[in-house]
Amino acid sequence: MLREIVEAGVDTLLEYLSLHVLSCLVPAFFIAGAIAALLSKEVVLKYFGADAKKWLSYSVASCSGTILAVCSCTVLPMFAGVYKRGAGIGPATAFLYSGPAINLLAIVLTARVLGLSIGIARAISAVLMAVVIGMSMAALFERGEKTKAEKHAAPAMAMVDNTAEQRPGYITLLFFTLLVAILLVGASGLISWVTKLIALALMILLLALVVIRYYSKDEVREWGSETWWLTRRIFPLLLVGVFAIGLIGGIAALYAPSHDPQIAVGELMKPYFGTNSFFSCLLSSIVGAILYMPTLLEVPIVGNLFGFTTGQMAAGPALSLLLAGPSLSFPCMVVIWRTIGWKKASVYIVLVVFISTLVGMLYGGIVG
Amino acid sequence: MEIEILGAGCAKCRATKKVITQVIQELQLDAEVVEVKDLEEIIDRGVVITPGVFVNGELKSTGRVPSKEDVAGWLSARSD
Repeated sequence: MLREIVEAGVDTLLEYLSLHVLSCLVPAFFIAGAIAALLSKEVVLKYFGADAKKWLSYSVASCSGTILAVCSCTVLPMFAGVYKRGAGIGPATAFLYSGPAINLLAIVLTARVLGLSIGIARAISAVLMAVVIGMSMAALFERGEKTKAEKHAAPAMAMVDNTAEQRPGYITLLFFTLLVAILLVGASGLISWVTKLIALALMILLLALVVIRYYSKDEVREWGSETWWLTRRIFPLLLVGVFAIGLIGGIAALYAPSHDPQIAVGELMKPYFGTNSFFSCLLSSIVGAILYMPTLLEVPIVGNLFGFTTGQMAAGPALSLLLAGPSLSFPCMVVIWRTIGWKKASVYIVLVVFISTLVGMLYGGIVG
Repeated sequence: MEIEILGAGCAKCRATKKVITQVIQELQLDAEVVEVKDLEEIIDRGVVITPGVFVNGELKSTGRVPSKEDVAGWLSARSD
């Protein structure tokens, strides 16, 4: 019996150690590392100032999660910093939500393991939700904010003297486009082996040329260092989490009618998450909001634990969990409460849960 | 020589402290490492992405874990 449980753990683990998953995770980690090391965050943060144009602030805030942070532990202090420096409650909460919700690695893994449709749905919904949540918060709370902003003269942002040679913007664009193209081509299932290898070889060659010509050794070192840092912190935890989910499946198989570790937990949860109803989506959102999910783990939780990949969990609740899960957790709620007060924090949490529910229901309704 | 690490306890802040402490030990420098964890102060000094590293009040880096070479460079320049 113990052997079967452990086997279940190993089976799930091997799913994630497959070429299928790694062929997109590895390039994604490099991209995330490049973003962390090579894109100037100060430039992005300027848009959070109290005097930045509102629509610009929101657009940047809702997308900047990809650029500024990867996990909720980094987002929280940044949110506190940005808010206290005078960013309106609107853009600040938009950023707070979008940070963990649309991080690049998570979207890539979602699309790969759970399907392109839900991956795209997650990305688009998260961005739109960030804007809606931010604007709702602003609409409800901004009246008190204006006077506060006057009293809080934001201190100048501490920036290190950047004597690096100015790189033309189009080179940065080319660099990242190549990286993303390598990811998409490498991970695509639509191209034949030969074409793929040739295309990849050419793109990697071009990338190498761009890097050698336009990027300093220090920057490349920084890129490698950030990529490794991210991998070290996220990947092992993902594997351990996946293994644990497999184990849970194995244990649940003892009680579930099918006795199949791959679908046991999903089976047991089916009465709760099997439909696209309001109840399922709401429950899913609440579970997501309370549960702490390490970066990337929301994917196996939705896919393997709750059984989305085997059809046990419906698309609606799955998306709801993906939208409410990463950005919130019980410890996270406590920190937010301490930063902006219980009233604003409660409204924020309710907004996230509620809109996740609605979006899930909508998606479930469309996809069936 | 005073080295301040501004950060509210993130993983990179801890890693930065480790690197700096190592360099101080290896180069046997007379330097004090101060950790500033108070968010208000961190913000007042303009650091938005932690960790922020200040050597004798001068900003040296933000938002990343400095390498040992970086740190050695800052510290030896100051001891002239």
